[in-house]
Amino acid sequence: MGDVEPLDLISDLPQSIIESILMRLPIRDAVRTSILSTKWRYRWTTLTHLVFDDKSVKVYNNDRAPFESYLVKFITRALFLHQGPIHKFQLSTSNLQCCPDIDQWILFLSRCDIKELVLELGEGEWFRVPSCLFRCKRLTRLELSRCEFDPPPTFKGFSCLKSLSLHQVLVAPETIENLISSCPLLESLSLSYFDSLALTICAPNLKYLCLEGEFADIYLENTPLLVAMSVAMYMTDDIAEHFEQSSNCNFLNFLGSVPLLERLVGHIYFTKYLSLGEDPGRDQITYNHLKIIELYQVSFEDMKEILVVLRLITNSPNLMELRISGSSNTLAAIEAQDVDFWSEDCPKDCTFKQLTFVKMTDMSGVPHEMQFIKFLLANSPVLKTLSIIPCAYVMDGRLNMLIQLNKFRRASSDVEVLFIQDEDEEAPCVS
Amino acid sequence: MSEVDMAVIKPEMMKSYIWLQTVDGSIQQVEQEVAMFCPMICQEVIQKGMGSSKNYAISLPQRVNPAMLSLVLDYCRFHQVPGRSNKERKSFDEKFIRMDTKRLCELTSAADSLQLKPLVDLTSRALARIIEGKTPEEIREIFHLPDDLTEEEKLEPLKNTTDDPRIRLLNRLYAKKRKELKEREKLKNVEAEEERVDDRSVDDLLSFINGGSEDSKTSKSSKNKKKHRKRKDHQKSTCSTETVEVHNKDSNGINSPCQSVGADNETQSSPSGTTKLQDVDDDIFPSNDVDIDDEIDPALKEKIDREVEDFARRLNSDWPERMQELLSLGQDRRPVHFSSVNGNGSLRIYGNWQFDVCNECHLMSSCIPYNFFLAIYNLNA
Repeated sequence: MGDVEPLDLISDLPQSIIESILMRLPIRDAVRTSILSTKWRYRWTTLTHLVFDDKSVKVYNNDRAPFESYLVKFITRALFLHQGPIHKFQLSTSNLQCCPDIDQWILFLSRCDIKELVLELGEGEWFRVPSCLFRCKRLTRLELSRCEFDPPPTFKGFSCLKSLSLHQVLVAPETIENLISSCPLLESLSLSYFDSLALTICAPNLKYLCLEGEFADIYLENTPLLVAMSVAMYMTDDIAEHFEQSSNCNFLNFLGSVPLLERLVGHIYFTKYLSLGEDPGRDQITYNHLKIIELYQVSFEDMKEILVVLRLITNSPNLMELRISGSSNTLAAIEAQDVDFWSEDCPKDCTFKQLTFVKMTDMSGVPHEMQFIKFLLANSPVLKTLSIIPCAYVMDGRLNMLIQLNKFRRASSDVEVLFIQDEDEEAPCVS
Repeated sequence: MSEVDMAVIKPEMMKSYIWLQTVDGSIQQVEQEVAMFCPMICQEVIQKGMGSSKNYAISLPQRVNPAMLSLVLDYCRFHQVPGRSNKERKSFDEKFIRMDTKRLCELTSAADSLQLKPLVDLTSRALARIIEGKTPEEIREIFHLPDDLTEEEKLEPLKNTTDDPRIRLLNRLYAKKRKELKEREKLKNVEAEEERVDDRSVDDLLSFINGGSEDSKTSKSSKNKKKHRKRKDHQKSTCSTETVEVHNKDSNGINSPCQSVGADNETQSSPSGTTKLQDVDDDIFPSNDVDIDDEIDPALKEKIDREVEDFARRLNSDWPERMQELLSLGQDRRPVHFSSVNGNGSLRIYGNWQFDVCNECHLMSSCIPYNFFLAIYNLNA
């Protein structure tokens, strides 16, 4: 005890460094620094980023009720002790549901120059977004889950908003359309778990779009800057019926005016969705920037879906990477009538000049799949890798697939054809 | 060495250098592309035309000593090379920050003064990782922080917890205690106080805390309860800082009940029979504690203080397990359990309680009723 106190290593570093350290600590640890010493007493209280989650509070048994109230108290007190602007507030917890405190926090934040707000609450009762949220004029990022979203009639949009994500949010279709078009700077939009929503998107600055749900109609009316898009379509019988009757050309609605698209990812029924409707004109759109196409669960027994895939890839002269998974109804696909399409109607003069990587998963070895692979191999002079992963349920056809693969002419002398029996084992046989 | 590096990187002779001077006066030349990776140096070169010769060497900020400069330059030399993969950069960074905490702090500071943001980010992330999950005690030790907050300041946040009457009571107890302590200081007497063992009083108190005025106790026990409470309250006033002495004595095995204290207290207490909080609030504090001021020689006191402090530190070091243990025991409400844990219930609780507040900190309300319980138990011990 008689020793000379060693020099304090950290307390006298500039405040900017201390902030940079505190910012990287979980909020619980950051707050606890206030009892380290007098110099640390109020240092955390000017943090501009506050992120709360289930680890912000510790309880010693797993009761949910006290946990919920501790978390609420913790957040309330943190906000009370806080001083200065709060640019980011995030609350991600599965243990908290709708509670009146949320409204007060949002009110408090709306007065603290809030720019990023992320609220992900637990299942159960959804909270209703308080009207004060719509007065946060400087919001640049808004992410909400499981809530009811109903802006007041006077709401004029978030003029600075760049990123909007709504996940399982109860909102009227026209409201969401208005919201999107009243955020002029919007660059990133993500909507998930929407039911039977017909949506027209006007967002002149939109770059990233992510949609997931049972969408009825989607029309990208004004999205000239879109760079990447990921869409997962679920289909109920209602929607399928709606599609049958619809005369819209989904392909054009979706991909008619996205000249800068670089990456397209489609899940579940997306390819099917694109294949519906009649294409009125014959004008071909060229996707000069499209480099990556991923289409999952393509039905290779449906000629229309195959045509969608072909249309996309043949109009993307700079395509580099293609990933496709099949979801073929094997019986129907084996008996496919129009296999001679590949020898007669399929585009003959196309070359995939940039395509280097192709991965085909869930392949059943049905004629159209094999023909498609043959087509790719024959027209891709710089292809480096072609991986084929057979569908787990197809055992008998594998040898036959390999024999066929061997026969296909390869435009690229460098190509490595990998036939991966079990993706986990990573022991491909090279043919 | 740096010249060898240079030769490896760019063998051609036409190469520009920047001259840098550190606070100790030493001057060195550094490859331009490496030095210019630091925005501060870059600005000096571009805006002021400095660094082109030995006579116009750029004076680096004070926080960049030669050792740190060489580290910073290592960092720049690696990262200024274009075309490295993210993976390469990451693995370099990971190895780069493997150094002792002192150097890490110095490096952060140096990088900051050179406005080298990526390095500031890297090092502060490393420092954050050091702090994360540690107890305040541990953090103080790692960074040599002075423990200059008073217990009172550490407890201050409890005041905010408002509408729980028990907390108000606790705070009042503390206010009183502080007053007492001040008076005591004036007297400059060294006190020691023996501990009384009284299980029942804690039980009573707990049932009281839990709203148990309607419990099955007889009126006699209720009266006892009152007395105990009184005694406890009284003792509370001598507690916190002095408790350590008391407890320490305990740990030294001097554990003889002090009858005189008890007797004094009892004569002062005016049994009112009710068990409402209000009462406790109102007649908590008897005034003088002359009886407690036994003769202990100052040297001994100092020694005891030291021992207690060390002991408390050791106790606090593994607080989470302890806390958990205590919480589960707390549900039993049997003080005997507490004592059984380390043979010295009160000291242990003192340590834990203190830490509990520290760790859960301002905002952590979860343990407040429990704190209260511990505090009261502590007083009563």
